[in-house]
Amino acid sequence: MNSLISKYVGVLRFFCPWVIGLVSSDSHADLFDADFSAFNLNGLLDLRYQYSDSQPGEIENGLGKFRDGGNNSRFLANEAALVLQTRLDWDWSSTLTLKYADHQHTPVDLSEAFLVYRPVSTSAWQFGTRLGMFIPPVSMENIGTAWTSPYSLTSSAINTWVGEELKVFGAEAHIRFQTEGGDRLKWFAAGYANNDTAGVLLAWRGWSLHDYEATLNDQFVLPESLGIQTHLPLQASVTKPFVEVDGRPGYYSGVSIDRPEAYNFRVLYYDNLGNPTALENGQYSWRTQFWSLGLQVHLPWEWIFISQGMSGQTRMGERIQGLFAVDNGFWSASFLISKKMGNQRFSIRHEYFATDENDFLPLDQNEERGHALTINYNLTLAQRHQINFEFTHIDSDRQSRVNLDQQTRQEENLWQIAYRLFF
Amino acid sequence: MANCLSAVFLILSGLIMARPLYAVTLSGQVHSDGKPLPDVVVTLKPLSHDPRLSATAGKPVSWRLDQKGKEFIPHILVIPPGTAVYFPNSDDIQHHVYSFSKAKRFEIKLYKGTPAEPIVFDQPGLVALGCNIHDWMLGYILITETPYFTQTNAEGHWSIDVPAGDYQVSLWHPDALAPDTLPNEIKQIQTAQTLRHSIDLKAWRASGKPPDTLQMQGYIERF
Repeated sequence: MNSLISKYVGVLRFFCPWVIGLVSSDSHADLFDADFSAFNLNGLLDLRYQYSDSQPGEIENGLGKFRDGGNNSRFLANEAALVLQTRLDWDWSSTLTLKYADHQHTPVDLSEAFLVYRPVSTSAWQFGTRLGMFIPPVSMENIGTAWTSPYSLTSSAINTWVGEELKVFGAEAHIRFQTEGGDRLKWFAAGYANNDTAGVLLAWRGWSLHDYEATLNDQFVLPESLGIQTHLPLQASVTKPFVEVDGRPGYYSGVSIDRPEAYNFRVLYYDNLGNPTALENGQYSWRTQFWSLGLQVHLPWEWIFISQGMSGQTRMGERIQGLFAVDNGFWSASFLISKKMGNQRFSIRHEYFATDENDFLPLDQNEERGHALTINYNLTLAQRHQINFEFTHIDSDRQSRVNLDQQTRQEENLWQIAYRLFF
Repeated sequence: MANCLSAVFLILSGLIMARPLYAVTLSGQVHSDGKPLPDVVVTLKPLSHDPRLSATAGKPVSWRLDQKGKEFIPHILVIPPGTAVYFPNSDDIQHHVYSFSKAKRFEIKLYKGTPAEPIVFDQPGLVALGCNIHDWMLGYILITETPYFTQTNAEGHWSIDVPAGDYQVSLWHPDALAPDTLPNEIKQIQTAQTLRHSIDLKAWRASGKPPDTLQMQGYIERF
């Protein structure tokens, strides 16, 4: 409970100038431009019908690749989100995303909350920063309201993991050089805390494909019957994605090259600098490092090509004779092509994913490989009503499924019809 | 816009200068990929040194470049040097207009309504406009020294009355595939003429308009 409160206090601290401003108009005038009261409220309502032919997924303590694949046919209120953007003055703004989602640990919770400082520049160089709780800029697809994608309902394996386990509490800064022709070169870097458990899901559950983003107070149940707590009795049965365990901050840094409406290339290196032996309240600190590449190319006739790649390593526990208790390499690559036809969009994404292992706990089998295909068609009416039809097929092979008396190789399908309202 | 005067045209223009000046209409149409192309800037630069040809048109005029529906209206504004441009804001939200183009570096904070002070554009050149709050907003101000300029309408048509003489006719559009190869020709204009041009545009163009769905508009550059 204490850590929960301290987390809220941490978030509020970033917003305190604004909070103070609301309480006292005098201090508001001192801190920010008094004429400013620019609120911008956006949001999302996402209702779905799903039919799956697949194994139980993460929220059913299974090793299926969908989130709740064991639930064959159902209607659900998948998500409702509010995004409040407030301009505090000409240079400062804040973004607060509050959401409800199906099977969310805390029914209504913060997904992102940060302050942005972006002063105007009348030279080719521009500087900006953001402070608070935010998702690192890995995804090239989740660019819509409340981290939704215009291309698909189901996120790619890479972006699913980003939504689940990568959220940082800290500061990100960038320096951007822009030519008169509009080309942009941007260098960015961030220092952060509260991302020490990132990697645990990739190791013990493996890659997954869905569209659930974790929230401030979230927790995920780890797969059962794999003997995780036999090997590591101090590990809790759940993982909390946004806790600080070892007291050591992590960092990420990267470069983005952008020609608007032509292409965008981004490379990012992430290292949470976790101490693999640190443990607090049943949560181990994992040392997780990866490279992320993203490419978006606009093609003729309103086609767009997006590719992402990720390769990294996550380690945890004691090191004995050069080997860690858990040590998994992970990689994935996705290729998406999408065509816009007026208010309709058609997208296909194919992706590969894999983990391997090199540790001294051979009974803890975490290697897997697989590939997935997602086909989406959507129609947006009056800019706000979006109807989606989507099919996803995943073919994966994971050794640890033998513990659940399953075939190691599984082919899983998910059909979805969604109505999404954006406002 | 490169000057490419030939001796022949210089002689021709010398002969013309002896005649009285009278207005003729030069008109044309610009296409791209078979479709009419609006907003193309057409400038006519007099090639003779007759002060009557190069005189700027009357007293200074002030212009408006509006912020409406989170876009710059017009998308492209052509003005002579020294023009004062007002930046009214017709939206209910603030805009923060800026430019770092060499021809004019400035920033202006826009609340609703029209600010009292215009921005004066003294130097010829191209000024690209952006908004620090709405990253997609994009507009252009072209400051041209010649008093003879116009733009194509929605049907790609343009028309201008000029004194008879020799002119360098140039076309400009921000989305031209290769701006250096745009039609830039010398014309001896003695009678009404109609010109036809075609411009190749980039496959993908930044329109300066907001994204066409609320899903994408809700995203204000977070990164």
